[in-house]
Amino acid sequence: MSNENSHSQVYKLTLKIKRYDPEEKRSWVQAYNLEAGRILRFVDLFRQINDEQDPTLAWNSSCEHGQCGTCSVKVNGKPLLACELLVENAVQYFQTRTFTIEPLNVAPAVRDLVVDLAAAYERIDRVQPYIIQPGSPPSEQDAYPIMPQSLDHYVNATRCINCFCCASACISSHNSFLGPNAMLATIVRVMDPREQEKAKRLKILYSEQGVYRCHSSRACSFVCPKEIDVAHFIALAKEGRILNKS
Amino acid sequence: MNKALRINSTFECDLLIVGAGGAGLRCAAEVLDKRPQTQIMAITKGAHPQKSHTSTAQGGLAAVDPKDPADKPIYHMFDTWKGSDCAADQNIICKICDAAWEQIVWLENKGMHFSRDTDGKPGKRTFGGHTVNFGESSAYRAVFEADRTGKGIMDTCWGESLKRGITFINQGIATELLFSRNQCVGCIVFKQKQGEFIRILSKATVLATGGSGQIFKVTTNCRQNTGDGLALILQTGLPVMDPEAVQFHPTGIVGPGILASETLRSVGGILRNRDKQAFMEHYAPKMKELAPRDLVSRAIASEIRAGRGIFNPDHNVEHIWIDLRHLPDAVHDKQIPEVTGFFKKYLNLDPKKELCPVHPSNHYHMGGIPTSVYGEVQDISGQSIPGLFAIGECAAASFHGFNRLGTNSLLELITMGKFVGDNILAYLSRVPGKLPEAEGRHSVSQFTGYLDARGKDNIGHIRDAMRMLMTENVGIFRTEEGLTKAVDVLNELKARADKTALSSKSLRMNQELVQHWELDNLLTVSMAVAQGALNRRESRGAHFREDFPERRDAFNYHTLVSMKQFAKVEFSKRDVDMSIFEEGGKHYEKFGIIERRY
Ligand SMILES: Cc1cc2nc3c(=O)[nH]c(=O)nc-3n(C[C@H](O)[C@H](O)[C@H](O)COP(=O)(O)OP(=O)(O)OC[C@H]3O[C@@H](n4cnc5c(N)ncnc54)[C@H](O)[C@@H]3O)c2cc1C
Ligand code: SF4
Ligand code: SF4
Repeated sequence: MSNENSHSQVYKLTLKIKRYDPEEKRSWVQAYNLEAGRILRFVDLFRQINDEQDPTLAWNSSCEHGQCGTCSVKVNGKPLLACELLVENAVQYFQTRTFTIEPLNVAPAVRDLVVDLAAAYERIDRVQPYIIQPGSPPSEQDAYPIMPQSLDHYVNATRCINCFCCASACISSHNSFLGPNAMLATIVRVMDPREQEKAKRLKILYSEQGVYRCHSSRACSFVCPKEIDVAHFIALAKEGRILNKS
Repeated sequence: MNKALRINSTFECDLLIVGAGGAGLRCAAEVLDKRPQTQIMAITKGAHPQKSHTSTAQGGLAAVDPKDPADKPIYHMFDTWKGSDCAADQNIICKICDAAWEQIVWLENKGMHFSRDTDGKPGKRTFGGHTVNFGESSAYRAVFEADRTGKGIMDTCWGESLKRGITFINQGIATELLFSRNQCVGCIVFKQKQGEFIRILSKATVLATGGSGQIFKVTTNCRQNTGDGLALILQTGLPVMDPEAVQFHPTGIVGPGILASETLRSVGGILRNRDKQAFMEHYAPKMKELAPRDLVSRAIASEIRAGRGIFNPDHNVEHIWIDLRHLPDAVHDKQIPEVTGFFKKYLNLDPKKELCPVHPSNHYHMGGIPTSVYGEVQDISGQSIPGLFAIGECAAASFHGFNRLGTNSLLELITMGKFVGDNILAYLSRVPGKLPEAEGRHSVSQFTGYLDARGKDNIGHIRDAMRMLMTENVGIFRTEEGLTKAVDVLNELKARADKTALSSKSLRMNQELVQHWELDNLLTVSMAVAQGALNRRESRGAHFREDFPERRDAFNYHTLVSMKQFAKVEFSKRDVDMSIFEEGGKHYEKFGIIERRY
């Protein structure tokens, strides 16, 4: 379609949103009918609902351009970033104008589409998402040298924004598995030559809640909005091929 | 219902960080590193610290590598001074530029994944306005982590704070600063998830709440950037400095205003109007597309005003084009894939084949809470308020004056974060053990007011009207008439907002309730910006008065605006620090009142 059309195509949509009221501990599905231009994002639709129909609908977002991973929701079952889903793409991809929207199932809902992300993050905190024991740089006031080829092995794993879409899509149980993004956060530091504390990391990785819980379904890689091949890194870890790449 | 509204509990800590972005957490990490037993609480309005706006910064951060034979800190200082249009403070310019590389090394040693050069060292690239030898040629001064430099900083500062045992309160909003006599002793926080107020008493409090871009209709800033820190300061009667100094980025992607970086123009992108005419040559014959941000923004806005813009029906706005079609595939695929990815993702168009719609987008607030070079918050007479500090975009030390250079903000976060951390360590060792009591009554009555209001209006509509008003009258072009109108209408909007009822009186995660409070902050900050702009009858950096298009020496000072009551504004001044010039050292003459010509 040319971008010089003087009027926009308008879509008539129905959003069936799963709602939750924490005071009355009540869940229900509410349908909103709305008209929206072809390139509005789903976050714009939520705002439109707030402004024109129902200010009580709660949802979360921050940067609204796919860099922070706050607005993750499930649309027709698929976890994605609401700020990256355009109306016309959604209609085409899901072949419908009716969308079911639910919060991610990675933590308890606080209200409606807002989940307690801090609770979800506890899994990340457990794998210690930082350098536990840094190696010493060649001299004080110097950067640790890392060759670009070496960085290339794990740089994709550093791009994770903890949107938890992969964790939501993962077919392994949330109770027994720390989750794909928690695995990724550990794997990064196993592969990072600056980290000296490898043993502790490997222990977490190969623990009861670690990589062996993964069924290699690749659902994580499929949904990752950053197009990180999460399953590839997990497979490397399973095969023990993440240690000697530095 | 609102019987629940009271302060539910009181917590105590040594250091309270209001705003867990890059600046706040760099400061926390410093304090915990040197004094591990320090009790630190950090509040973030977002779902998690990692969701702070710092995470979205792409380009890089400026720092002169002492091993670089071509570059010197004095060049960086000059570029920053010139860029600021002689309105930054030279004492802070000196301090930040000198300490820059040390902080890059800190970030690297703590695990930030900088992009590397072929020797394995952090790679460097050029960035607009950064030069060697006082403007002679472009400087390779920006280190970066691919197109996610801010994320690298955020992850590192968050990780280091987490490692050392900080306590986070996520989805909390600081609603009121607490004072015992003149000393700041903490703040009141509304915890959104629980729907309750808590009081946090602390020996030292740091405001690091970030930007205020949401006062404009089109902005590159995130949804949380509602200028809360500035509003909190104004509420106490303390001043904000240079609120009128607001930067607009020339190329925001039409609709959401997402940043389409300078790189598009530096690789050869051409700006075109409705008639497909390349218009930059009429505004900046030499530099054309590569002229500074403010000049290009004004050129685009002029074209649109002259009826040479294009109407976008999807987003109901006018824009111009950036033409990337002539660029070789290699440039598209290797040099600008991320940015052109935004056009694909948000507009469903192919920049290799189609013109891309852009318009100026609000980007950065140079003005903010006035501080000393140690981040101490100051009153109108320049006295520091004991126990209260400010850093990051919400603060003005002032490193950027009236126009910020790209890559200088991230540098400010990490250097000031460290300096203020060190200063707080010294402060903590001086203050006595027991904290004075302070009550804090304002927040409860403010929120009760929201819950009791009965008027039929809509918070979202008032906010949209305000953002439109600001964009049209207090944006790229400003005039006496437009600014006066803005002040009048802001008063009307404030009166409307005060009466507006909420749809639900529930307290837990009541988004509308928080948005009502944010709207009050947005209106407050808008008023300060408009009044500051009205008062400054000259043009300087990003502040452009059509009725006073030249810079004037009579305005060589910082504006201080106090506004304890909405719209009741009092002005005062702070001198611009020119210590590099005054000390008369080598190259001092470059630091006088110089022309800003590119
Ligand atoms: C798209 C974009 C790209 C950029 N790229 C660059 C770049 O390449 N280089 C550069 O130097 N600069 C860049 N900048 C500017 C830079 O990113 C910001 O100025 C900087 O990140 C601000 O950091 P901060 O720590 O001050 O605030 P933020 O990172 O915004 O953090 C503020 C924190 O305060 C919290 N908060 C706010 N209000 C409250 C409240 N009332 N109570 C409690 N918490 C609160 C927020 O939740 C958040 O945690 C860019 C800006 C944008 C918009
Ligand atoms: S590949 Fe493994 S980690 Fe990824 S979704 Fe499947 S089970 Fe989960
Ligand atoms: S790996 Fe991808 S899907 Fe998973 S949290 Fe990170 S960015 Fe999101």
